[in-house]
Amino acid sequence: MRTIAAFAAFALMLACMARAGPARDDHGSAIAAIADVQAAVAEIVRIENGDEIGRDAYVRAAHRALNALVGRDGENYARAFGDPGDGIGTLGHVDRMLDQNATLRWTPAVEGAKANVLAAAEDLQDAIGERELEDYQIDLTRALANLALVVGRPSTDGVLGGLSGALANTDLGVPSGARRASACKVPARTPAYGVRAGRLVYVALPRTIAAAQVPVGLDIRSIVVSASNVVLYTGSASAVARSCATADPPPALYTREQARAGAAVYARYCLQCHGTDLQGTAGPAVAGTEFLKTAKFDGWSLRDVRTTVFENMPFSNPGSLTPRQYAEATAFLLASSCYPAGSKPFPQSDEASLAAIKLGPITAAKPTNAKNGTCAVK
Amino acid sequence: MSRLAPVLVIAGFLFLLVAPGLRAQNSWPTSDSYTSAADNNSAWILPARTYSGNRYVPAAKIGAADAAKLKKAWSASVDARGPLEVSPIVWQGTMYVTSSHNDVYALDAKTGAVKWHFADKPHVIAFSANRGVALGDGKVYEATLDGHLIALDATTGKVVWNVLAAHDPRNTFFTMQPVPYGSMLLLGASNGDWGGIGYLSAFDAATGKRLWDWKTIPGPGEPGHNTWSGDSWKRGGAAIWSGIAIDPSSSTLYADLGNPQPDFLGTIRQGSNLYSDSMVALDISGGAPKMKWYHQFIAHDTHDWDPAMPPVLFTGTIGGTPRHLVAAGDKGGNFWVLDAATGSLVYHLAVSTQRGQNTQPSRTGDIACPNTNGGVEFNGGSYLPQTNAFYVPSVNQCGIWTSPGTAAYIAGQFYLGGAFPKQYGPSTGYVNAVDIGTGKFLWRKHLAFPQIGGALSLSSGVVFTGGVNGDFTAYDAKTGAVLWHYQTGLTIQGPPSYYELDGKPYVVVGAGPAGVNFADPRFGQGAPTLEGTYSHPVRAVITAFTTP
Repeated sequence: MRTIAAFAAFALMLACMARAGPARDDHGSAIAAIADVQAAVAEIVRIENGDEIGRDAYVRAAHRALNALVGRDGENYARAFGDPGDGIGTLGHVDRMLDQNATLRWTPAVEGAKANVLAAAEDLQDAIGERELEDYQIDLTRALANLALVVGRPSTDGVLGGLSGALANTDLGVPSGARRASACKVPARTPAYGVRAGRLVYVALPRTIAAAQVPVGLDIRSIVVSASNVVLYTGSASAVARSCATADPPPALYTREQARAGAAVYARYCLQCHGTDLQGTAGPAVAGTEFLKTAKFDGWSLRDVRTTVFENMPFSNPGSLTPRQYAEATAFLLASSCYPAGSKPFPQSDEASLAAIKLGPITAAKPTNAKNGTCAVK
Repeated sequence: MSRLAPVLVIAGFLFLLVAPGLRAQNSWPTSDSYTSAADNNSAWILPARTYSGNRYVPAAKIGAADAAKLKKAWSASVDARGPLEVSPIVWQGTMYVTSSHNDVYALDAKTGAVKWHFADKPHVIAFSANRGVALGDGKVYEATLDGHLIALDATTGKVVWNVLAAHDPRNTFFTMQPVPYGSMLLLGASNGDWGGIGYLSAFDAATGKRLWDWKTIPGPGEPGHNTWSGDSWKRGGAAIWSGIAIDPSSSTLYADLGNPQPDFLGTIRQGSNLYSDSMVALDISGGAPKMKWYHQFIAHDTHDWDPAMPPVLFTGTIGGTPRHLVAAGDKGGNFWVLDAATGSLVYHLAVSTQRGQNTQPSRTGDIACPNTNGGVEFNGGSYLPQTNAFYVPSVNQCGIWTSPGTAAYIAGQFYLGGAFPKQYGPSTGYVNAVDIGTGKFLWRKHLAFPQIGGALSLSSGVVFTGGVNGDFTAYDAKTGAVLWHYQTGLTIQGPPSYYELDGKPYVVVGAGPAGVNFADPRFGQGAPTLEGTYSHPVRAVITAFTTP
């Protein structure tokens, strides 16, 4: 009975410990992981520079570098030689980052870094066992090459981008507790980190900020200075710019006259299958919430929609309308989806630039039909 | 006395066995009900009544004289957002039907009163259509326009489970009626004009868990892969989406595979493009299916002339000898009869006007017949043993086919390498009776409107079919004489079902809006026309007929 009670108490204690574990700080872990790599590299560089010579010195350096990588809980950690790192080790930090259910934008990069740490640890283990100086140096060179990949370079967020690639271009670069904001719009209050779909798009800082407070390792591609802010855009900015284009303000893609004329074209040639409310009967929805949701899900550009309308419609007699009628019908559909009218008409001929305009839900839309998310064309 | 006692004991024992079944308010079709469906005239529990795919009723209670006196028993209005293509399912006095947008209705089969209604609002990829439900173990199963497989409680219509059954819901949806087999539901994916690869899937009917997929296009290393140039197989099409037939005695599944993609551009997919436009016979006795044979009807199709008709297994008499056969029909206007055991061709004949069979759609346009909605359509036809004839409606249309010479894949849009053809010339239809003994017409009727309503043949020598102009007609199976007809005022795009209730025979058919494919300017007042204003037809109706 006492044994069971003791066991229960122990289990409860374990459960409490698990729950009360340290809060996640992936950004901090990544920085610390890099610091441990740097500590290991320093050991290797020191011995390669010939600061010390003799077999004992070589073995000691390899052990110390290995300790910095694997940490005190890691395999082949040898306490006797000392640890130039923080004791958790690059592997300890990386494992902590990967120990979560979600697969994040930076997960592949960190998994790649882990594979390279393990390879470097193996190289160092080999070095410890070598009998010839030449073999020892070959092992160290390999370890250095692998560690260079662990750190990576800040221009990508893929596997080869390593930890610094992830820090520079994904939301791993956002320090714990820092303010995150929409990647599409710099907020009035800064500092703020612009994030979208796991990508770090910009760091916005007040103009008064000291240069020392600029985050280290950011992959800065362009700098925009406004009256109050300095905005540092990363390599992810171009990848996100397109998806931001569907946010506010939506582009003006047609003229009001076109959309009005398009209403008659629609009534005559399209309504039969797509319905008076444009929500589809025999055919699919062609405007409003349902349509824009589909457009986003399927990744449609305005050119994709143009191709479908001009070349495949009307279904029973494709290509039978004039280019002018097709442009008017498309204008009517855009207007019905609450895109604003402008001064430039929707083109009657194909334009490659239409491929850059992605369709999707419009945040600032004020639909006249709230249920369908459509706007009346007047 | 002593001799009677054992009989009483046995009688009592039998009562115990039977009584729970009698007392239960709802019992549901079992595996045995499906394999013996041919003998049960009170029910219609598979898409085409039996696994054979043949809409044929033995010992039917509507003779030629009765047919002439058929009267409307009841009608029920259903959701009219698109055409009705449903094949009604009937079990123990309840009828289960679907609308184009996946609404499901349980109707009283005697009165048409709605017992329950499941309303759905699926995302529509291209056009709306649904061919009906499967029934089993207290559940009604429906596959939807947004790629889901749904199980509803058959007594309440409430959702029991709902799984995403399509692999790529961007370009895949379901129109096919799920087919129960053993503990499985069999279902083909509709993705054959939208840039997918066709597949037939089996799901656990209890949970909706996927059991296996059978892909219709051979991948690298598989036999037939070299019939596709380059990477063209990856978006090759060959969807299974109208229906299947099964021979339970040999565990053989027969399926017709759809057209290759891009539909109208052959240059980027050189080769015969297996197994597009083919019938396949699959051994489904084990886990995943194994192919027994295939028969390609049209190699390297560039006109979307796929074998839309579901396969029909039957034993026909040729040269005085009964033969186990399987029939197919394609949108190219061909009716095919194959040997069911080997897939070898017995014969074929044209049931629609054909022209330009070997042309390719060009930039300037080429005329070819039938049109894309021509030939034999998705409801197929029926074999009647009493006349040794096969009854199959067809569509007579021509089209002008164009291809710009390029094909672009846009997720969720048609992947055609061109456009659907513009209709050229008149649009008419046939009801064909093919003498299976000779492979020639027993009779055929040339009608003013396309005929796609399938066929229901009765042992009494009566054949029912519906036209897109709304006429529901009973023909004398021997002569083709019209025995009776009823104008629904809507278009008929679904097949008829037959059942008996309280001793009375019923024939039921759905009719609704014309939809995308069969709009026709001749429908007149209240019907859609491209030439002017019109009022959109907003009714979809299930109508049951019975004898006086």
